[in-house]
Amino acid sequence: MGELSDAESHLYHTVARLAQRGPFVEVLAQAARGLSVHYDGHSTSFHAPALLRGAVFRAWTRTGWTEASVSGLDPESLRFAEGAVERVLTHRPAHDSPPGVSSTARLEKMTATPRPIRDMGEQEMLSLARDAFSWTAGIPEIRETEVQISWRDDERMYLNSAGARCYQGICRVRGGAFAVAMENGRVESDRFIHGGVGGREILEGLTPEAVRKAAESARDMLHARAPPAGKLTVLLAPSVTGYFAHESFGHGAEADQFVRDRSYLKPLQGQTVGPEILTIVDNGAYPGAWSEIYCDDEGHPAQRTVLVDRGRFTGALHDRDTAAALGALPTGNTRRSDFLSRSFVRMTNTYVEPGESSFEELVEEARNGVLLDSGTAGLEDPQGGQIQIKARMGHLIENGTVTDLVSSMALSGQILDFLGSIRGVSGPKDFALDTGSCGKGRTDFLPNSAGGPYLLATAVVGRA
Amino acid sequence: MSLSRPGDAAAVRVGDRLAGQEPWEVFGERIRRYEIHLTGEKIEMTRGPIALEGYGIRLFRKRDNLFGIGCQASNDFTDEGVRAAAEDAERIARYSSFPEARFELPTGHGATGGIVEVLDRGLWEYPVDSLDEYVAALRAAFEGRKPATLSFGSVRVTLSEISICNSSGLRTGYGHTSVDVELGVKASGGPEGAVPQEYWVNDSDRRLRPAALGDRVAEWSRFAEDVRRGKPPPTGEMAVVVPPPVLAGILPTVFGGRFTGSARLRQVAPVAGMQLGSELVTIHDDGRIAWAPTSSPVDDEGVPQRRRTLLDHGAVSEILYDSLTAGTFDTKSTGNGFRGFTSGARNWYRFLQPPTVSASTIAIEPGQGGTDAELIEAAQDGIWIQQIGWSSPDPLTGAFGGEIRLAYRIRNGKLAESIRGGTLGGIALAPEGSPSLMTRLEAVGSKAAIAESVLSPPVLVRPLTVAGG
Repeated sequence: MGELSDAESHLYHTVARLAQRGPFVEVLAQAARGLSVHYDGHSTSFHAPALLRGAVFRAWTRTGWTEASVSGLDPESLRFAEGAVERVLTHRPAHDSPPGVSSTARLEKMTATPRPIRDMGEQEMLSLARDAFSWTAGIPEIRETEVQISWRDDERMYLNSAGARCYQGICRVRGGAFAVAMENGRVESDRFIHGGVGGREILEGLTPEAVRKAAESARDMLHARAPPAGKLTVLLAPSVTGYFAHESFGHGAEADQFVRDRSYLKPLQGQTVGPEILTIVDNGAYPGAWSEIYCDDEGHPAQRTVLVDRGRFTGALHDRDTAAALGALPTGNTRRSDFLSRSFVRMTNTYVEPGESSFEELVEEARNGVLLDSGTAGLEDPQGGQIQIKARMGHLIENGTVTDLVSSMALSGQILDFLGSIRGVSGPKDFALDTGSCGKGRTDFLPNSAGGPYLLATAVVGRA
Repeated sequence: MSLSRPGDAAAVRVGDRLAGQEPWEVFGERIRRYEIHLTGEKIEMTRGPIALEGYGIRLFRKRDNLFGIGCQASNDFTDEGVRAAAEDAERIARYSSFPEARFELPTGHGATGGIVEVLDRGLWEYPVDSLDEYVAALRAAFEGRKPATLSFGSVRVTLSEISICNSSGLRTGYGHTSVDVELGVKASGGPEGAVPQEYWVNDSDRRLRPAALGDRVAEWSRFAEDVRRGKPPPTGEMAVVVPPPVLAGILPTVFGGRFTGSARLRQVAPVAGMQLGSELVTIHDDGRIAWAPTSSPVDDEGVPQRRRTLLDHGAVSEILYDSLTAGTFDTKSTGNGFRGFTSGARNWYRFLQPPTVSASTIAIEPGQGGTDAELIEAAQDGIWIQQIGWSSPDPLTGAFGGEIRLAYRIRNGKLAESIRGGTLGGIALAPEGSPSLMTRLEAVGSKAAIAESVLSPPVLVRPLTVAGG
């Protein structure tokens, strides 16, 4: 166990003292470390995540939850947070127990890898970055290539007054290249990013072929046409399919939105909402995926939750509060960005499971439309049931053939209309997960992954 | 919280222990944050104090014609903690490099930056009471507003003390307050039988202003009703009136990405004299606007903020520099070295990230376009775009676009039915000679308002691409 071991005794005793004043108290302590290098041919910058550690205490009071956070794990810092929570417990003592199931789990797990990334020093990281930079050489339109390689160890310890003790150390590793092409003042770009939970082996995915392909794509974008606009047949590439899964059934199925009575999905539980070829899953236990966790920040183990099972909306994502309110069990989806942030019901790795069609069959089925590639952003409206997805590029589909390259687009529409229009999902060989981040509203960003195979449907598309 | 005495400020406490490691810079931050989260109009959770005190060290090491820059941040103020952070920075400096012709850290002379109003005294002195009072006023303002209700919300107030010092003798600092309000205002029911819909409120301010909530909640409730009634727009190119909140989602990222020394280093910055916009548009970067969320007396390197003209009647005038990029091009910092900027928005704590060159507040000079009604009349046929879901601007290509959360059709020079759904998009800033939002500005309104990191009047653009049903 790493940097939190020294503080465990203080954390335990602070929880024990506070528990004498209320029915339930918990603490999440965090420490992080890591390193990233950014190389662009002009400059090299290294950045080490801050030597930042701290804890957040949460207690149940007469009027609900109260929290205090402090940056520091020394006894003085912890006493400061303890005092803040104690004052609230004194003024608003709880008359009952908190809703839901208090974890009693005992877990200790760190990312297992034969090749720990922390053994890779600055010089070796810089060498790899320079190599990746050189892989775009020989493409004259490429004005700039930026390479970034990073890793981050996130240690979290969760203790509560019900006896839970969960320690997890997760190491996320990522490498990528961003190529900028310029011609006659027009600027276009594309990128390749590969990452996951593990060690140095993950960086083997940063290959010359993948980086050069991104650079060639940026170059080709200089001559891309404007995209079509209007209601069109759309073929979503895996990264765009991931945004669909994440924005539609990810955010819509976060059960705090049910409790707030602001999810279009709430009245649809158990109902058929899409075709049989559609299955959507959130899986925090997906080995090696970017958003793999071993337990959530309430001490509940990560798990695979089927949100849509062959077209039927079957599951939602829960924390202890929402599970209690809706008669369900926690699903291991309570997450905090860090010890300074509150917990919410959050996704982990959310994806559309592969179907049986081939890419060629989907293009033929589409006949005329647009292929949206390289998803860059998405936005959900859980209340109104709308989604927005932005794609960096795409191709026209004409007479059952993929043709001209088109520039960036936004897709929008009613999710239920979109679901009703889905008529094909490609197979396992196209399946991919990305390495992204997601906020709740406009804040609280944390590592998140989404993906799937190709997916054929109909939607409104416009220039963006 | 009380402001620290100068010698006790976080940066100074660390800087005093860096003797012999010159040149160095320390940015310190001491923060108290308080939050109230609402589910419906019920308080779901109170949070605070969220106490955070930390510092970021930068060391500068000359190597031939390059500089090695070493950065590390920490919240450990013990001798051992400061030593560990400095050692990390020193090690990193050995491997990093930045092209420098001439590098100067700002000195203590004139670095106070003068007075810029960024601190709400009442909120600073009584944060818990002020927050409670605001949330009570917010809940009261929704009484009697049905069918509009509050579906969720959070109000977060942050009190921050910034301190900056360096080995050239700079000692400066200031206190500031910030307020972030995020609400979902839901409209449901009604004779049309439409499903419930929400209007989203995302406000950043320096002050809590409960007295203004009555009018604002009335407006938000009306917007929520209009979202619920809205229908998708037609597809086509049309005149669009764009108000400050929508510009705030586009311009800071685009100008902050292209009009900077770092963009110049990457050879993607515009050159002075290029005509990139209509002659009607003059745009400044101004970090001294009272109560603007991104204003401050000095930047995060301690250089006083000023007003810089980016576009003068559509022609490129200046670009922005921090100390590092200024040194590369043998010029002076414009006071635009900021920590913690992400996509045009500023994080509530900043010491974790080293400074980069960024815009502060993008200010469009008011024009002769008149009132909102006059802009709408000038548009004749088109849309007024009230809110885009996320315009996700690309700082390099200038492309922006997103889903229409709320807009109004303009028919015969008057606002007509509301629009919900479809997309709006285009290029905010294009190469000289190519069409863009900046070149297609047909009129600039006469009254400016602050929206996040933009100070602007509404502008009329003809045309932009709208895609609908």
